Amino acid sequence: MNKIKIGLFAIVLTTFFSSCQKYLDVNSNPNSPTDVPPNVLLPNTSMGIGWANANVIGLATGLIMQYNAAIPTQWQSYDVYALDGSFGNQWNYEIYNGCLNNLVLLISKTNSTSPAYSGIAKIQKAYIMAMATDLWGDVPYSQAGQGLTYPQPRFDKQEDIYKGNSALGIQGLIDLTKEGLADLDKASVLTPSSDDLVYGGSLVKWKRAANSLLLKLAIQLTNVDKPTAKSLINSVIAGNLYINDNSLDLNVPFSSSVSNQNPAYVRDISGSFKNNECLSSRFLTLMRSLNDTVRLAKFYTKPNNVFTAYTNGNNTTAPTAASRSVYNTYVVGTTGEAPARLITNFQTQFILAEAALVLGTTGDANTYYQNGIKASMKLAGMLDAEINNYFTTNPTVVNLAGTQDDQLKQIITQKYIAWTGNGYESYNDYRRTGYPVLTLPLNAAGDDPTSVPKRFPYIATEGNSNPNQPNPRVKTNVKVWWGQ
Amino acid sequence: MLLLCFFIALTHVIAQTRTITGKVIDEKGNPIADASILVKGTTVGTFTSKEGTFSLKVSTTAKTLIVVATNFTTKEIAIDQKNDISVSLKSSSNNLDEVVVTALGISKDRKTLGYSPQTIKAEALENKGDNSLLNLLQGKVAGADITGASGSAGASTNIVLRGMSSINGSNQPLFVVDGIPISNDLDQTAGTLYGNQPANRAMDLNPSTIESINVLTGPAAAVLYGSRASNGAIVITTKKGSGQKGRVDISFSSSYSQQKVYGFPKLQNSYGQGSGGVFSSTSTSSWGPAFGATPTLTNGLITSAATNVNGINYAAGSTIDYKPYSTNLIDFFNVGNNFDNTLLINGGDTKNYFSANLGSSVTNGIMPNTNFKKNSVGFSAGSQLTNKLNISGGVNFYNTLQLGTTQGNGGNSAMFALWGVTRSTNLAYYKDNYKNLDGSNNWWVSGRDNPYFASYENPITSNLIRFIGNLKISYDVTNWLNISYRLGADAYNDRRKRIVAIGSTQASGTGRVTEDIFFRSEFNGDLLINMKKSNLFKGLNANLLLGQNINQRTYQNATVTALSLTIPNFYNVSNGTNFSSSGEYSSKRRLVGYFGQLSLGYKNYLNGELTLRVDQSSTLPKKNNSYLYYSYGGSFIFTEALKLNSKILNFGKIRASYAKVGNDAAPYKLENSFSKWSYGNNVASFSFPYGTVTGFGASSTLPNPDLTPEFSTSIEFGGNLGFLKDRLTLDVTFYKTLSTNQIIDVAIPTSTGYDSRTINVGKISNKGIELTIGGTPIKSKNFQWTISANFAKNRNVVEELYPGVTQMNLPGSYFGGVAPSVVVGQPYGVIVGSTIPRSPDGQYLIDSTTGSFATSITNQVVANPNRDWSAGLGNTFRYKNLTLSFLVDYKQGGQMLSWTIATLRSNGSLDETGVDRDKAHILPGVVSVGGGKYVSNYIQIPAQTYWSNLGGIGGGEMAVFDATTFRLRELSLTYDLPLKNTNIIKGLKLTVFGRNLFYYSPNCLIDPEVNTQGAGNIRGLELQSAPNTRNMGCSIKISL
Repeated sequence: MNKIKIGLFAIVLTTFFSSCQKYLDVNSNPNSPTDVPPNVLLPNTSMGIGWANANVIGLATGLIMQYNAAIPTQWQSYDVYALDGSFGNQWNYEIYNGCLNNLVLLISKTNSTSPAYSGIAKIQKAYIMAMATDLWGDVPYSQAGQGLTYPQPRFDKQEDIYKGNSALGIQGLIDLTKEGLADLDKASVLTPSSDDLVYGGSLVKWKRAANSLLLKLAIQLTNVDKPTAKSLINSVIAGNLYINDNSLDLNVPFSSSVSNQNPAYVRDISGSFKNNECLSSRFLTLMRSLNDTVRLAKFYTKPNNVFTAYTNGNNTTAPTAASRSVYNTYVVGTTGEAPARLITNFQTQFILAEAALVLGTTGDANTYYQNGIKASMKLAGMLDAEINNYFTTNPTVVNLAGTQDDQLKQIITQKYIAWTGNGYESYNDYRRTGYPVLTLPLNAAGDDPTSVPKRFPYIATEGNSNPNQPNPRVKTNVKVWWGQ
Repeated sequence: MLLLCFFIALTHVIAQTRTITGKVIDEKGNPIADASILVKGTTVGTFTSKEGTFSLKVSTTAKTLIVVATNFTTKEIAIDQKNDISVSLKSSSNNLDEVVVTALGISKDRKTLGYSPQTIKAEALENKGDNSLLNLLQGKVAGADITGASGSAGASTNIVLRGMSSINGSNQPLFVVDGIPISNDLDQTAGTLYGNQPANRAMDLNPSTIESINVLTGPAAAVLYGSRASNGAIVITTKKGSGQKGRVDISFSSSYSQQKVYGFPKLQNSYGQGSGGVFSSTSTSSWGPAFGATPTLTNGLITSAATNVNGINYAAGSTIDYKPYSTNLIDFFNVGNNFDNTLLINGGDTKNYFSANLGSSVTNGIMPNTNFKKNSVGFSAGSQLTNKLNISGGVNFYNTLQLGTTQGNGGNSAMFALWGVTRSTNLAYYKDNYKNLDGSNNWWVSGRDNPYFASYENPITSNLIRFIGNLKISYDVTNWLNISYRLGADAYNDRRKRIVAIGSTQASGTGRVTEDIFFRSEFNGDLLINMKKSNLFKGLNANLLLGQNINQRTYQNATVTALSLTIPNFYNVSNGTNFSSSGEYSSKRRLVGYFGQLSLGYKNYLNGELTLRVDQSSTLPKKNNSYLYYSYGGSFIFTEALKLNSKILNFGKIRASYAKVGNDAAPYKLENSFSKWSYGNNVASFSFPYGTVTGFGASSTLPNPDLTPEFSTSIEFGGNLGFLKDRLTLDVTFYKTLSTNQIIDVAIPTSTGYDSRTINVGKISNKGIELTIGGTPIKSKNFQWTISANFAKNRNVVEELYPGVTQMNLPGSYFGGVAPSVVVGQPYGVIVGSTIPRSPDGQYLIDSTTGSFATSITNQVVANPNRDWSAGLGNTFRYKNLTLSFLVDYKQGGQMLSWTIATLRSNGSLDETGVDRDKAHILPGVVSVGGGKYVSNYIQIPAQTYWSNLGGIGGGEMAVFDATTFRLRELSLTYDLPLKNTNIIKGLKLTVFGRNLFYYSPNCLIDPEVNTQGAGNIRGLELQSAPNTRNMGCSIKISL
C-alpha cells in the first residue's frame, strides 16, 4: 500500500517537474530582436558619426575655437577650458557605444558576403576613430568595440592608430580606409540604398569620401611624417576620385522633424537650453577685418541688421537673447534640417593647398586656396556675383602671399572660417598649425589657464574600469603626437 | 524520504471530539467579548460572546487553546481533562507572548521564534494625519529607513530594512496582504529624478482597513517567501469579521486635515533682481541693488532701454518699481488638504465571517493644480463549510488618481523655475498672466516654463485601477494534518497622460502628449501541507510544513508619444504628427518553489526551526535555474527552563538564526538584443526612425548565458527580556548580512563598445543592531502611560565589486557630475561628485589669483546618504477616556545633496546671502605661497562670488548637508466617548492630530527628509523637488 502511494507520489512529482520546465520557458525577449540586418545598423552608425561631430564635441570645439562665446554660465566651462569631467557621454555613448560597437558588428556581419556594407563601415570606423584619437591622443582602437574579446582595451599610441603597427597587430586608420575602398569594389550580396542616409547607396560617392578621408588623415601628419603625408596625398590626387564638388560632400542629414533635428538647432535655437551661446566677438572681429560679413551673415543671424557678439569667457551681463547673433540656417537650418558636414569639397581644396605649400604635392597652392574659399562661399549660399565681388575687392585676402608661414596662416584661417559649424576640424588644424591665432578667453581656467587645450581630458568612467587608461590623466597642455 | 516516513508514521492516530466551554475575563473579572479561542496548531476556533463565554468542539487530541483579544496579552491554556475553563487575560502593551503572523500567513507563538518580527497595530496607524501606509510606519520600526520623496500629493515613499544590499535589483521589502504578495512598484513616467513623483503602489492600500502589520526585517523570517523577501517583508493583515454571533459591526471614520509647507528655506528681503549690484530684467538672481537704493542708470534702476519688468513696460529713462516681494515663493504653494472616509462592515458567527470596506481619500496638494485621490472597495468572507473544510477569500478594488506636475531640474519643472524667482519678482503677476494671449508661456527667463504654466498647462495624470484578490481552501485531513491552497492575484493598469502644452518652452514649443500605460500582474499559488503533533516524544512538539509555490509576474509599459501638435488644448495623441518616441516594453517571469519547514519545540522553552526552499526560475539559464537555500534558528527561554520565577525578570529568551536566500535575475539577461537607437541627452536628442528609415543598435549591456543565482546570507542573534510582569520589555537583535554573487550589470570600459555586462559579482555587507523597548511606567485604573522606543544602527559596506572596478553608478537617471554610486570600501549609494582640493592639513585650497576655490577635483565621494543611527520614541498617556500620544524620532547623520539650497545660495535668495552683502568676503581656506607653504586665505571677493563658490548646482561638496534631524512626527489627542454597549452607537471617538509639527535639523537649511527619486535605490539627492508639509486635522470614528 505504502509502496503504491510512494510510487504514485513519484509519478506525480516527475510529471510536475517536467511540465515545470515548460512552464518556466518564458525568457525569450519580446522587446528586442536577437539579431538585425545590416540595413538597420548602417543608419545608426551613419547618424552616429554625424551626431558625435555636431553635438557636444561640436559645441565645445565651437567655443574653444571661438566661433561662439558662452552666455554665462551654462556652457562656459568649455569656453574657459575647464574641460575636466566633460565629454563622458561623447566617449561612452556617441563614439564607442553607438558608433564603434555597431560598426564592428556591421563589419563582421557583412565582410565576407556583402562588402558594400563592410566597406562603408570601415570608412566610418576610420572617421570616428580619427575623431577619438585627434581629441584624446592615445585611445583604445585596435582592441576597442569588440566586447569581451578585449575586456580592457589597450590604449594604442596615436602614431600607431594613424599609421598602424604590425608588431602590435594594429591596422592603422589609413590602411583601414584603403581596405574599405577595396571592399567597395567587391561583389556584394546586399547593397545599401535608402538605408544609406549619406549617399543613398552610391558607392562611388563613398569612394570619393574615403579618398578625401585619406587626405584628411594625411594632412594631419605634416608635423610628424611628411614623406607618408606627401605620397598619400599625391596618390589621391593621381587617382582623382575625391570630393571635388560641393554636391559630393559627406553630409549626415538631419530633418525638421522633432527628434530628427540637427543637435545645434535644438541646443541653440529651439530647446530648453537655448540662448546659452552666441557669436564670439573674436570671430566677428576676424570676419570684419577680412570684409567677410556677407558670408558671416550666412553663418550667423543679424538681428535688426546688426551683428551682436559676446566675448569668450566673459561673465558680465550679456546682450538680450533676441539681439544676439546666433547660428544661422547654414549651420542649423530653418527648423533643424541642416546637415552635419563631415568631409567637404572646401576641405579637400584647403588640404591640397596646404599640402602643395608645405609638402610640395602636385598642384598650385593658390588655385586650391581660391577653390576652397569659393567652395565655402558657394556652400554658405553666397551668390556668384557676391563671391566675384569679394574676390575683386579683397585681392590680398584671396591670394596667398608672403612667407610659407604667412601663406599657411592664410590657408588655415580661411579653412577655419569655412568650417563654421564644425569646430572639431578647425580644432585639429589649430593644433597642427597654430592657426588661426586665438586670444585666450577672459577668466581662462582648466588644467592650464595660459594655453588653449591641446587635447581633451580622459573620461573618469573609462578609467574607473580600464587600468590601461593613463593615470593620472594627461594634462590638457600636453600636445598630441601629430600636434605642434 | 525522512519526511515521508514522518508523514506515514503519524497516519494511524484516530480523532474523537469533545466540547469545551468557558469564560474569558480581564484582570478585574469583567467579561471580554470577541476574544478568539483557537485550538493550537489547527484552524478550529470560536469567539467569545458579549458575556465573555464560549463553547467549542475540539478533538480529544487537542492539548492547548490560544486565547487572543485586542489589547490583551495572548494566553495559551492547557486543556487536560477539564471541559469548563475560565481564562483571565492581562491587559498589555507588550507583545512578548503574542501570536504573530509570519511568512506565508502562518501564525506562530512569538516566544518560539528564532528571530523577532516587529508588530504595528491598527491604533498606531489611525488618525496620524497621513494616508500613506509607509509614512505611517516612520519612526515605529527599528531598522527601517523610511523617507518620503517630498510633500507633494501622492509622492512615493522609500522603505529599506536593515540597509541596502542589492546593486541592480530592488531593495524594497516584499509586501504581503493576507498571505498574497502584492506590488509595491514605482512606475516612473519621466525618469527617476525628473517627473511628478508618482506613488508607490503600497499607497493604494487604505490604512484604516489594516488590523496589523508585521515587519520581518531579516531574511531568516522571510525565507519561506523565497527570493523576493531577501530584503525582508511587510506582512499586512486586514480587518476581518468580529465573529460575534449574529452581530454586524459597522464603523465609520472620517478625517480632515490641512497641509502647509514646512521646512521652507529662509530668504533675504534686502536685495532684488540683478547681478553685481546692478539691476537686470533678465536675471534669475537677486544680486541686484539694495532695496531703497537711489535709482541711477549705473545701478540699472533707471532704464537705459525699453524693458519689461514684472509685466510692466518701462520706456528708456524711466525708474523701475523695485521692491521686495517677501512672500512670493512661499505664496506659490497652496494650503493642501485631505479628506478621508472609511466605512467598515464586519459580521459573522462562529463559523462564518464577512467583511466589507469602502474608502475614499482626496488630497489636494500644496503645488497648484495637484491632487491625489484614492477610492477603494473590498469584500472578504470566510466560512467553515464542514468541520474540516474552510474556505475564505476576498477581493479589493482600488482606483487611485494622481494629478501632478513636473519637478526636478529641467525646463518644464515648476520647482526649477520657482527657485529662479528673484526677491523682487512679482510672482502674483505671473500667476495671473502665466500665458500670453496666444497661449504661449509668459516668463522672463528663456527656456523655462512659468511655474504656473508648468502646473496648469503641463500636467501629468495617472488613473490606476487595481484588483487584489485571494481565495483559500483549507482542509483538515486529520486533526494533525491540514492541507490548504491559497491563490492570489494582484493586477493593475495605470493610464498616465503627460502633457506639454503648445506654447511651452519644451518640446520645441509645439507640444507633446504622452500616453503612458503600465500594466502589472502577479499570480501566486501556495500549496501548504501542515502537520502538527504535540508531545511527539516526551515534551517534544513538532510541526512540519511542506509546500509548493507558483508565481508569475508580468509587466507591460506601452508609451505613445505624440510630438508636433497642431490644435491647441487638444491633448489626444491623434493631435500629433510625429510618434518617433513611442515604444513598448513587456516582460514575464515565472517561478516555481518547493519548501519545507520543520519546527520543533521542547517543553515550551527550547525551540528550533529548519526551513528549506528550492526555487526554479524562468530568468536564469536552464542549467542553473534550480537553487536551494535554507534557514535554521532556535530560541531558548531560560526563565522557563531554569524556573526563574523572579519578580524582576519574568521572561528571558535568547535566540539565534542563520539564513541563506537565493535570488534570480531580471528577465532577458541571457541573450543578445538589439533595440531602436537614439542619441543625445536632455539638451538635444535624436531618435530613429529618420523619415522612413529606422536604425537599431546592440544593447549596451552584454548578456550572460551563464548566470547563476545570487545569494545573501544572514546571521542574527538576540534576546527578549520581560521585567516586572512585562511592565518593561526589551528586545535586542544583532545581525550581519552578506550579499554575494549579485547579478549586476557591472560597468565595463565603454571602449569595449558596451558600457556594462551582466555578471555574478560583488559583495555587500550590512551589520547592525536593532533594539525595541516597551514599557508601562504608570498603570492605574484611570491613568496609564505606555512607552515604546526603538533604536537601530546599521553599517553598510560595499566590500567588492568587479576585479579592477572600484566604483559603479547605480542604475537610474541622474545628472552628470552627481552620480549615486557604489564605491568599494564605502557605504551603498554614496554620491560621487566633485570636491575642492585640500592643503596637506585638510583646508580648502584657494586660487591665489581669483580668491575662489581652486578648480574642483571630479569623481570624488561627496555625500553618504546612510544615517549613522536612528531612534523613535512613542508615548501614550491615557486618562479615563482621554488618550494623548506622540511620537518623536531622531536620525543621526546621513547626508543630502540639495540643489534647492545650492541654487538659492548662488542666486542670492537665501537669507544668509543678504548678510553683510556690501562688505568684502573671504572664503575659508588657504592660499599656497610656494615651497609647500600655505597662508590663511586673505583674498577679498564680492559677496556674489563668495556665495556662488558656496552654491551652484552640480556635484559640488558645498551642496552637501548633514541630514541629522529631530522630529515631532505625530501628536494626537483622542476622546473616546463612554457609551454603553447596548446603545445604537456603541463607540464614538474624536481625535485631533498633527503630523510633522516640528523638526530641528541644525546643519541643513531645508527639511532634509526629502528624496527626489522617492522609492528606489537612489537616495540623498534633493534635485529641486517640492518641500515637506506640516499636517493638522481632526477625525471622528463612529462604531455601530
